[in-house]
Amino acid sequence: MKKIIVLSLVLVCNLTFGITVKDSISSFTFQRMAMMEDFDCDACGCSASGGSMGFSSMLNTNFVGVRYFHQSYTSRDGIFANSPWIDENFNTVQAWARIPVSKRIQISALVPYHFHNRTLETGTESISGLGDISVMGLYTIFETQKDSAVFTHKIELGGGVKMPTGKFNEANNLGTVNKSFQLGTGSWDYLLVSEYVIKRKNLGLNTMLNYVIKTENDQKYQYGNQFNYAGTFFYLFDLPSVQLVPQLGFAGEVYATNKQHGLDLPNTAGDILFGKFGLEVGKDKFSVGVNAMLPINQNLSRGAMEANYRWSVNLNYTL
Amino acid sequence: MKKILYKVVAILVLTATISACSSDNDDQASGSGKITLEFDNAFGSNDLILQTQGNKTSNNEILKITTVKYIVSNVVLTKADGTIFTYPKEKSYFIADESTKAGQDFELSDIPAGDYVKVKFGIGVDKAQWQLGATGQGDFLAQAQAAGMLWNWTAGYKFFALEGNFTSPTVTTAVPFMIHTGQTGTDYNYTEVTLDFPTKALVRTNINPDVHIITDLSKILDGPNKIKLTDYNTSGMGAMIMGGAALPLITANVATMFRVDHVHND
Repeated sequence: MKKIIVLSLVLVCNLTFGITVKDSISSFTFQRMAMMEDFDCDACGCSASGGSMGFSSMLNTNFVGVRYFHQSYTSRDGIFANSPWIDENFNTVQAWARIPVSKRIQISALVPYHFHNRTLETGTESISGLGDISVMGLYTIFETQKDSAVFTHKIELGGGVKMPTGKFNEANNLGTVNKSFQLGTGSWDYLLVSEYVIKRKNLGLNTMLNYVIKTENDQKYQYGNQFNYAGTFFYLFDLPSVQLVPQLGFAGEVYATNKQHGLDLPNTAGDILFGKFGLEVGKDKFSVGVNAMLPINQNLSRGAMEANYRWSVNLNYTL
Repeated sequence: MKKILYKVVAILVLTATISACSSDNDDQASGSGKITLEFDNAFGSNDLILQTQGNKTSNNEILKITTVKYIVSNVVLTKADGTIFTYPKEKSYFIADESTKAGQDFELSDIPAGDYVKVKFGIGVDKAQWQLGATGQGDFLAQAQAAGMLWNWTAGYKFFALEGNFTSPTVTTAVPFMIHTGQTGTDYNYTEVTLDFPTKALVRTNINPDVHIITDLSKILDGPNKIKLTDYNTSGMGAMIMGGAALPLITANVATMFRVDHVHND
């Protein structure tokens, strides 16, 4: 479940900024020129909880920003065909920043705050609080330098850590199918990210792959590792007063099986593919973005959990 | 720049190495803990809901179930290394009852720590125990009496009881049914079941696993032996199956209705 949640988070992340969900996929924001910023979402274990991380940008721009993202799931609360389906809403507000420390190296940090709820037959259950903070470094291994080039390329690799600052409560994983109704995974998790952006004039394609290695938390629960991928086309309309960047793409998440005391937990693996679309509007030092993700294909918890949609809105300020 | 790249790669490799090493846990199991056997009654793929839910059989009979009770006994747990732990017989008789929470969770205490992979239990009271006589039954006799799981001492215990009402293509007005198993003049009808766990149950001083067993009651009529309640509704007043040749058939069906869905190691 957590894996699923993580995946979901990743997906969300991707949509939103490219990344709202757990490990995010990448998303963009842009400022001035089209900049893309990716983030990873960390879901708490997986999809649901949602911390996300942002990690890259097309421009060497420093920024700080705030984004809200929402994830909607429906999960079966029980193991039977007639067990009730319950709605789960995962809400996250996150502050994030990306700061270049040199021409080729950037540091990105993401601080999420979650407020989740789900409607059980016995009433509504809510959790809220700080999520898992992620910090990562990105290194630009290649970037087209010539302005005259028809195609420009940029490749970044990076790694980081997600800290167990969000509370993991084992009780939230009992009984119900969705194992991501958590504020954090409770574990130190490690992120490996890569991003490739190719542009020709005003049209670009951002592709992202990342992998999250999750470790066992102090309650001996371990969310499954997560693989995230995304591809997003974007186009920059550079108007006199504003820049508009519509985006269209896909994002996917694959979760491995969760473990407890080192033993595989059944029906916790999964995968999901989203279509995503969004629009970023930039003016002066500010940019505002709206993104949405809709599932195209999913297999979470062997069908006992369904992602409905994710959407996000963000505001960034270029430093 | 290259140096920095090397550093980044080195950190990533280190990270992967550290995380790869961190997940082993080979606690040497010592001491003892508890294990709970949870009996969750179902009908086919659906959770059982008493009174209101219509449950359809392969013979198109629709059962509304009001009572499900059965005696669970003689629990034996097997560890991954083949070691067998027999739960003390004097503590090893339980009455499963869908209508109460206490009738669904049986907590076994003082279980030696270890990694358990299967459970064996009986449905009913074994003949050796019954032959100890009324005084040899301890508190369980009164408990069974209170639960309605004893006909009388000579007739013996009811091992399994399923009651409610049903309709069928030919029985259009609901009539009652009662299925009670137990000993007859020719058959004793006690049966044992062995179930493998899908995940090891890790009994530790600080881990008390819960073994979630699903009891699929549809198997009573739709097991290896197909039973049609309508055939027993000879008087038109209801189908009462409490003896005769049907009981060994139903007992064989009882032996197939259990499975372990999952194990919680919490």
